[in-house]
Amino acid sequence: MKKLLSVMLVLTMVLAIVGCSSDKGSGTTTDQQGTKEIVIGANIYNFGDNFMNGVVSPALKEYADAAGVKINIVDSENQQNKLNDQVDIFIGQGVDILAINLVDPASASTIIQKAKEANIPLILFNKEATEEGAMAMYDKVWYVGTASADAGIIQGDMMVADWKANAKWDKNGDGKVQYVLLKGEPGHPDAEARTEYSVKAFDDAGIPVEELAMQPDPNWSTDGGNDKMATWLASFGDRIELVICNNDGMAFGAINAMKEQGVSIPVYGVDALEQALNHIADGEMNGTVLNDGKNQAKAVIDLSLNVANGKDPIEGTSWTLDDVKAVRVPYVAVTPDNFADFK
Amino acid sequence: MNFTRNFSARINRFKKMNRTDWLNFLVNNAIYIVMALLIGIVILREPTFLSVRTLINVLSQSSVKLILAFGVGGIIILQGTDLSLGRSVGFAMVISASLSQADTYASRFYPELWLTGMPTFIKLLIPLLIAMAVCAIFSMINGYIVAIFKVHPFIVTLGMSVLLYGVLTLYYNSPEQGGQPIGGLSTEYSNFILGRIDSIGPLKFTGGFYIPYLVVYAAIVSIIVWVLWNKTVFGKNMFAVGGNPEAAAVSGVNVVGTFVLVYMMAGILYGLGGFLEAGRIGSANNSSGFNYELDAIAACVVGGISFSGGVGKVSGALAGVLLFTVMSYGMIFANISFEYQNIIKGFIIVFAVALDTRKYLKKT
Repeated sequence: MKKLLSVMLVLTMVLAIVGCSSDKGSGTTTDQQGTKEIVIGANIYNFGDNFMNGVVSPALKEYADAAGVKINIVDSENQQNKLNDQVDIFIGQGVDILAINLVDPASASTIIQKAKEANIPLILFNKEATEEGAMAMYDKVWYVGTASADAGIIQGDMMVADWKANAKWDKNGDGKVQYVLLKGEPGHPDAEARTEYSVKAFDDAGIPVEELAMQPDPNWSTDGGNDKMATWLASFGDRIELVICNNDGMAFGAINAMKEQGVSIPVYGVDALEQALNHIADGEMNGTVLNDGKNQAKAVIDLSLNVANGKDPIEGTSWTLDDVKAVRVPYVAVTPDNFADFK
Repeated sequence: MNFTRNFSARINRFKKMNRTDWLNFLVNNAIYIVMALLIGIVILREPTFLSVRTLINVLSQSSVKLILAFGVGGIIILQGTDLSLGRSVGFAMVISASLSQADTYASRFYPELWLTGMPTFIKLLIPLLIAMAVCAIFSMINGYIVAIFKVHPFIVTLGMSVLLYGVLTLYYNSPEQGGQPIGGLSTEYSNFILGRIDSIGPLKFTGGFYIPYLVVYAAIVSIIVWVLWNKTVFGKNMFAVGGNPEAAAVSGVNVVGTFVLVYMMAGILYGLGGFLEAGRIGSANNSSGFNYELDAIAACVVGGISFSGGVGKVSGALAGVLLFTVMSYGMIFANISFEYQNIIKGFIIVFAVALDTRKYLKKT
């Protein structure tokens, strides 16, 4: 009985695997006309990331389809070692281009080395190599992303402008901004840069600030944002004048906690997820910063196509490369005045 | 009467204690002493911690965790553990949220939801039942495999958590526009979960006090679980199988059946927990529920539900969950830095498990 069960289990699994993989032949394939189809081996550092999984990944597929290239996207489950293995597999399959979203920005040189040895062009996206000189190791590696600091600067400028325009936001009238900050993953380049530059905007504008509390959250999670905000509302009560969130997910939690207590404090996020646009429409959120995932994906595909066809990476596109071979897709401020343009 | 007699008996026992007894008392209750110290420190740093608001927040933040702890608690009583709890709850959250969005919300998971226009009761019940059914099925599969193939639940549920994440992400990413956090939940759903009781009959609460619905739901679940564990054949079988599966089998208990039922009950509780959690948080995505198993399991163990099986009380799970919530709430309240929060939390878990093992060694 037990043996029969095991055999059946194994059979089901084999059938399932065959079933799942039948429509996804991988590696370089040739279509009926005999022209070679371009194959991109790509990853997303973590499918659990709202922005990468929900915005960038679908956009990559969409633009690849439109350009008639094949893209295989795998989940690195937030583990750099998994990504290393996946790159080996892509190389083994003989993909034409590697489009890699690093898990650990400090591990870029390993990936670049692998691509170099296999002589496959490499496009890193969204997470930039932090090692000095990594990008110079290989002539066929490029980066597509943003300038991390920009999101913080834009968020900060938005907050400063709104603060100046709304005298009553300074509830205790002491001229200082009493804020709480939901930070995100400690050590993450975006979390650190956004924290630094969003607050710096107030300093630059000559407005004194007082940090009531700041808590990191390795998962950037909505439930963490909710519980922390609920606690702060109890411990600081009316003293909180501003809620700064380094991503929209945590802002959603904070908004939920405020709604539950029937209070409303200005709150800002980053990412411009659809839910954030809806919160702005409902007057529950004051602003977010569009991390332009669609255009980052578009740039990845544009560069891949050019490189695969042996052209200059930015030929025929509107992108520009800076001195570290990077395309910087700009962030955009999303406010109650312009949110409808992003729907 | 009974209580006073008990109490004076306890006082007498205290008076008769010698040094070793005191030491034993300290060690056996060390966890509560550490917690009390911690709360003391928080109050010293932030005296406003002692407030009605803290009480309400701690109770409502504990509610869902308690329901989940009851689920995994039953499995721990069977000498098991459940690493698929978090993903299971996440799946239930995504299912519940996707079926409970307001029909006026701009970006809906199902642009044309068949539940639209149904009576409120149905609109709440259907997502709840689907979430519970899905979690129950996956959990029952865990139970079957553990019982029939005698595989350690650690690896079975670990595998199941990976599998669940795959299925969950597939579902979450299925809409046309790709996977987006599922927010904009309907007011009926939000009110059902975030609502509060301001008065009982003519008695109106004062001083900012109210009872969140969530606390009422957790109380009802606690009573049901207490009856199941203590007053039914199912409960007796669970403790018998957990204490000694061979002996239970010899005395005619259906071991496989007990396993499957306990795991099924866990799944139902995860489904309910996920349904409530999505409403509490206000949105859900495919990383929702991640790592929830750690808090739930830790709370059970701290509350005296032993990993060696057959031992555990409803009140223990309640104490464990409350202590953990008070601790994390208190540490954020007192603005203790993230690093120290983790050190303290980790220390208490390790300490609790060590004590748990010590009690077990004494038993044999």
